This record gives sequence, structure tokens and C-alpha cells, in this order.
Amino acid sequence: MRSPRFPLLVALLVVVAAAYWYFHSQRAPNGETIAVYHTKLDGTSLGSMRVSMRPRAPGESAAEHRHNQVLYAAVEAVTGPPSDVNAIRFPPGTHVRSVAIDGSTATVDLSKEVETQTGGSFGENGEFKALVYTVTSLPGIDAVQVTVDGSRLETLPGGHLELDQPLRRSDW
Amino acid sequence: MNLTNRFAAPIGSLTAAAVFAVVGAAPARADAPLTVVYQGQSIRFSHIDSKGGAPAIGVNDPGFATLLRSTSSLLTWKPGERYVLITTSVPTVVSFAIGDRRYDIGPIVLQAAFAPYQRGSEAFLPLNEVLRGLDLALRDDGATKVLQPQLASLEVRTLRDRVTLLAHGGAPLRPRVIAQSSSSVTYAFDGVGTALIGTRQINAGGVRSVQVTVSGTVRAPVTTVIVALQPGASARPPQNNGERDVVLAVSAARASPQSLAEESPTPEPEPSGANNAGNASDANATANGPATVTSVTSQASDAGVTVTVAVNGNASFAWHRLRDPDNRFWIDVKNAQLQGPPIDQASASPVISMRARQIDATTVRIALTLGQPNTITVTPSSNGLQIQVGNDAVSDDAARSGSGTIGSVVSSGEQNPVPVTPAPADNAPSDAGTSDGGWKFGPRSSYVPTNPRLIVIDPGHGGSDSGSEHGSLKEADLALDMAKRLRDILVARGWQVKLTRETDVDVYAPNDSPHDELQARVDVANKAGARLFVSIHANAFINSGPYGTTCYISKPEDVPLARNVEAQLAQDGTKDDGVVKSHLYVTYHTRMPAVLVETAFLTNPSDYALLASAAWRQKVAQEIADGIGQYTRAYPVSNQAGQ
Repeated sequence: MRSPRFPLLVALLVVVAAAYWYFHSQRAPNGETIAVYHTKLDGTSLGSMRVSMRPRAPGESAAEHRHNQVLYAAVEAVTGPPSDVNAIRFPPGTHVRSVAIDGSTATVDLSKEVETQTGGSFGENGEFKALVYTVTSLPGIDAVQVTVDGSRLETLPGGHLELDQPLRRSDW
Repeated sequence: MNLTNRFAAPIGSLTAAAVFAVVGAAPARADAPLTVVYQGQSIRFSHIDSKGGAPAIGVNDPGFATLLRSTSSLLTWKPGERYVLITTSVPTVVSFAIGDRRYDIGPIVLQAAFAPYQRGSEAFLPLNEVLRGLDLALRDDGATKVLQPQLASLEVRTLRDRVTLLAHGGAPLRPRVIAQSSSSVTYAFDGVGTALIGTRQINAGGVRSVQVTVSGTVRAPVTTVIVALQPGASARPPQNNGERDVVLAVSAARASPQSLAEESPTPEPEPSGANNAGNASDANATANGPATVTSVTSQASDAGVTVTVAVNGNASFAWHRLRDPDNRFWIDVKNAQLQGPPIDQASASPVISMRARQIDATTVRIALTLGQPNTITVTPSSNGLQIQVGNDAVSDDAARSGSGTIGSVVSSGEQNPVPVTPAPADNAPSDAGTSDGGWKFGPRSSYVPTNPRLIVIDPGHGGSDSGSEHGSLKEADLALDMAKRLRDILVARGWQVKLTRETDVDVYAPNDSPHDELQARVDVANKAGARLFVSIHANAFINSGPYGTTCYISKPEDVPLARNVEAQLAQDGTKDDGVVKSHLYVTYHTRMPAVLVETAFLTNPSDYALLASAAWRQKVAQEIADGIGQYTRAYPVSNQAGQ
């Protein structure tokens, strides 16, 4: 005859499993972090803030996960640090419209506002350096192709930086 | 030291309770619209759902769109995508993900009441958490719901003899001083509520405590911050420029008149040839001319490892080493900027690793980690310093710290050197580009100029593109003026010179594409087989802060040209921002050594005054010509391709 304690054990196991699942789901997963860079006002040196990346979710394919990480990194970089941090910033209103990944190149599509530059090399250089450093801090991404409103540009209007080919860390 | 102490802001729980009272009437699911008052306007949320009693808001809700617009926030999401990102005006990114209770506000990871979900082609987000991300709170005003901007954080930053309180709000903050005495100062923030109610003891930097209270009505709240001062401390009037961040600053009592003297040292006599007509607000730094750490390299030999730090300009340094078994050594080069990304690399024995980075605005730290307590010799020179790490063990009574100068002048700031805290050499977060040990270039070109006496000068912009404009000055005009002055000097020295434009015109065609325009300038030099290409510009930024001269380059053969030009321009009266590598079109696509000189910032008042002066533009032209002369003497055409 079975032990009368057997159903009790099963119930206990279920409770333990449920508790484990509950506490596990409560805990904010402490995933990988990446550096979100900003270019300081000396025009060249980089500062950074670390943000935490989400782990791959069940049902999220590896490609989707990569896409989501690139999107998040690009949005963080274009947003820049909080206003009390002195940094070279994209023109107000500039935002990431979408991202796409082809091999090790991430295409970041920016909104038209990026074209409202003030005119010097300083801003352009600092903005794109921070974006490229941030996005290429993701594993497997080593170049960033910038597009504006869905189109590839040679440079920004009245601009200086060449944008019609992918930018890499080695450009700086 | 920088102590940060952020008040917690438990806004979510209160809001949840308030909203639950509304939606609680329909226990299964509440789709009843929610009307709120925000800054006097009524906003109706119609895509309201509920999950476990907490409200959810649909991202396609017209009221939500109004709220995002009103708060200068932006939502990024497309149906089917996992991440829902809200960029706020802080700016910061509030990130949600479908199916994940975790949400992030910038670097802070939080847990929402429920996971966002997609229904049809709409994502639903936990409303309370969205509001928290926007620094708002939902409050009851009788039967009406009010979205109240919050004083969301009050960050206490202690810096030696002063404290700054960085107040951050969900609406522009306009603090008023409503009471002030020798023992306290009281600020009122109209229109913002807060959950930061209470008193914090600070006891540093002139501040005893900070007390936060809220009064007024739900629609017209007033948050009051009472800063209790230590004896002798003083509070500066708050900034009141309508930003969402404001700084309240308190300074401790002055210890002695000497400390005042230390803050404004008398500048040393000028080094010969230097010009201090620079930025008045930073006269000291300008007079001393910030140095540039242009490279940090290491070489192993039988005698150990030699680290060579190349420094362009005058700087002072201080070195420290820790005792065995913590065999770390670091040297701070002061009044210096690190050129290129920080360095972090493994090294040959007896050194394990070498790092170089900018640890603050004016200090470059080079840190070595040794395997054993070996001897270290620091030898300064006029163009840098050498750190020799030997194979022998250092004696116990050897010096653990030292200091000296690089170049020809003692920096005035070093008359009363600040003792350097023997902190670990490596206590700051790792910085950018750690794997990049300096500039990387593609292969060198084997370009040989067919016209070795020809220099092409490119005055930036022109015609339909005037470049930056500020006050009465246009970049296109300034560039042309300086280019013509440079041409006259070079022609007088026997060079042939071709300008890409001689008047205020487009080089390719009016209203052409930026690419055609820049390629046309490149074509002038490439087709003529010119020896050198020099593009002249004036810089600009969105605010008046940045100033200085920068030489931009893209190719390896640009470096020596730019270094020679920069060395001369270092005396032009504004800050020398050194040589910066970038992917600029004209320097990248010209086949010959090229440099793009951003002479000064139109947007900075003191740089503007320089640019407005014909005498200064002549001086810049003269210095560029001198730099070209030095370069061409050092690198004759026969060597040019190899350099």
C-alpha cells in the first residue's frame, strides 16, 4: 500500500515549484549591460552610462532578440544622457524610426530632425561617434549605416560627415 | 568625492490605489474612459483596460498621444514588436517589453504591476508605471482625476565644501526663495506635488538637513524644500530658467582667506610666443594652453617595458604607486586632453596591463598594473615622458609618489599642488573604446602628386549653402576670407595655389546635393594632382559653450600634416582642441594629405570676437601657412607617400 504521505509530498512539491516560479518571475532579470556613450563637450572624448539589456524571452528568436537589442541601444544613444550631463546631442526631436540588421551592419533610420544641424563638424562628429560606439558595443555589430527618413544620404545638408557608407569605430 | 543620495519616489503605490477606486466598479475588465486634468487641460483616455486591478493604457489612445505631446515625449513601437520605448524630455528612455513585467527607466530596472500585452494591433502598458516614467502622478480632486507633475527626485550631491541639490520635476521647475535667514533657506516649487515628503540629514558642504513638504491644492500644489544651513554657509540664488532640472547650491563657510587665493591663482607669466586673448571665462586654461596626450605606447625589451607618453604642449604630472602586493602605478598628466579613445591593453611582462583615459575634464591618467613590485623610473622631456619599468624589485624606501612638468613652462595651477588621493588607479567605470588603442586606419595610399607645388585650399560652404550663420557673420564668408589670406601667403612663398571657389558660389551648382558639392571640391584637388588639400571652416554648436580650434582628418597620411598645422594653430588665441579623426567627406575622399580646419566657434562669444577680427583671420592664415611649411620641409614629396 502507498504511503498516506505521498499526496502530501506531491502537494508540497507543487507548492515549492509554484513558489520558485513566483519568486523567479518577480525578480527583475539582471541581464547583460551595455555602455550608452555620449560625446563630451571637448568634441572627442566619450562618457558612458550603462543600461541593462533584457535577456532573450521565450518565443523570441535570436534574430528578433538582436533586432530588439539594436533598437534599444540606438534609441538610448540618440536620446543621450539626462540634461544635467554636458554632452553633444542630436538636434531636438531626432528619433530612431527603425533599425535593421544585415550581417554585422546595423542600419539605424533617423527622423528628419537630424538634418536641422547647426552647421559645424563638431556636432555631427560627436553625435554619430556616440551612436556608432553605442550600437557597436553589441556583440556581432561592427558597423552602423545611418539613413534619414528611410533614405540613404551622402551627407547631411550642409554637412561634413559622410553617411553613404557604414560608419565604424575605426572612423574615429 | 561625489556622494549621491537620491530620495526614493514611491509614486506608483499611491496612484494605483487612486485608480483602482475608479476601475474597481467593473471587476472583470474596465474599459470605461478615464478623464484627467493635466496642466488645466482635460484629457480623455478611452483605450483603458485593466489587469489585476491596475489600469492599462493603449498606445493608440488619442488622449495618451496628447499627453505624450504635452510632455514632449515620444513613443516608439510597431505592432508585432516586443519593445515599447518612451523617450521623455529628461531625456531618458522608459522601456517596456510585451510579456515582461520588467520596465526600465534609463539605467534603473523596475518591476511593473503587470506585463504589457498586445491586443489586436495595440499594445497596452501599465498606466501607473508610464506616469511614473513621465514624472506624473494621478491624484483625486473630489470626483476629478488630476495628473499632477511631481518633484520626482532631489539628488543631493556633496562636493567637498559645497552641496548641490539637483531637483528634477515632471514640469518646468521655477523655484522661488520664500524665506531666507542665516540658518535656513526655503524654496517653493509651484505647481508640483511630490512623494518625497520628509527630512534628510546631510551634515556636509554647509547643509545640515533638507526637509520636503507639500501644501496647496491637488490642482495647484506647492512643494516646499527647506534647506537648513550649517553656520557660515550660504545659498546661491536658484536657477530659474524654466527647465525640468534645477540646481540649488549651497557653499560651506570659507575656511580662511588662503582657500580663496587657491581658487584663483595668479597666472604665471606667459610662455614665449603664447597669446592669451582667449576665452575670458577660462582664461587660466587658455593661457596655459591645454596639452594633448597624443599617444601612449609600450615597448618591451630585455631591460623591461618602456611606456612612452607623447604630450603636445605644456603639462604637469604626478605619479603614485601602491605597495606590494597591490602593484599598481598611475601617473596623472594634468591640464591635458587624451587624443583618441581610451586605451586598455595587455602588456608584456613585467607589466600586466596598461590603461590610459581622461579621468576628468583636464586630467589624463595612465595606469599600469605590474606583476611584481619592480622599479619604475619616470623621465619627463619637452614632448612627453617615458616610464621605464625595470626587471628588478623596488627597494622598500623608494619614493611612492612624485611630480614634475612636461614642456617648457610650469602650469600656474600647480603652485599649490592639490594632494592627489592615493585612490586605486582604476576605480572609475571603464570608458569608451577600450579595445581601440588609438586611431586605426585603412591601408596607406601610394599617392604621388603630379603637381607637387600645388596646394588646393577649400573655403567651406558658399553660394546656396552659407554654412553656419551667427550674428552678422556667415561661415562661407569667413572661410573664403581666410582661404584668400592663406593663398596670398603661400603664393608669396612660391607655392601654386588653387581655391575650390573664389567667390560666394557653390562649387558644383546652386542647391545641389551635399554629396555633389563636396565631391566637386574633392575633384578639384584629385584631378589637379595637388600636393595638399586644406579645407577651412568655422564651427558651431547648439549652445555657446564649446570653443576652440580643431583639425579634422580621416586618412593616415593626413596625420603629420594636421599635427604640423595644429602645432602652429595652438597659438591662435583660442583653445587647441587638437587633431580629431572623423569620417568627413572631403578629408576622406581626397587622395593627398588633407586637413579640415574648424578655426573657431561662431556660437561662442569670445571665439566669435576672434572670427570677427580681420587681424585674427590673418594670424590664422599665417599659422596654417607656417604649419604647411613645417610639414613640407619635414616630409618632402619623395617621402610623402610613405609618411
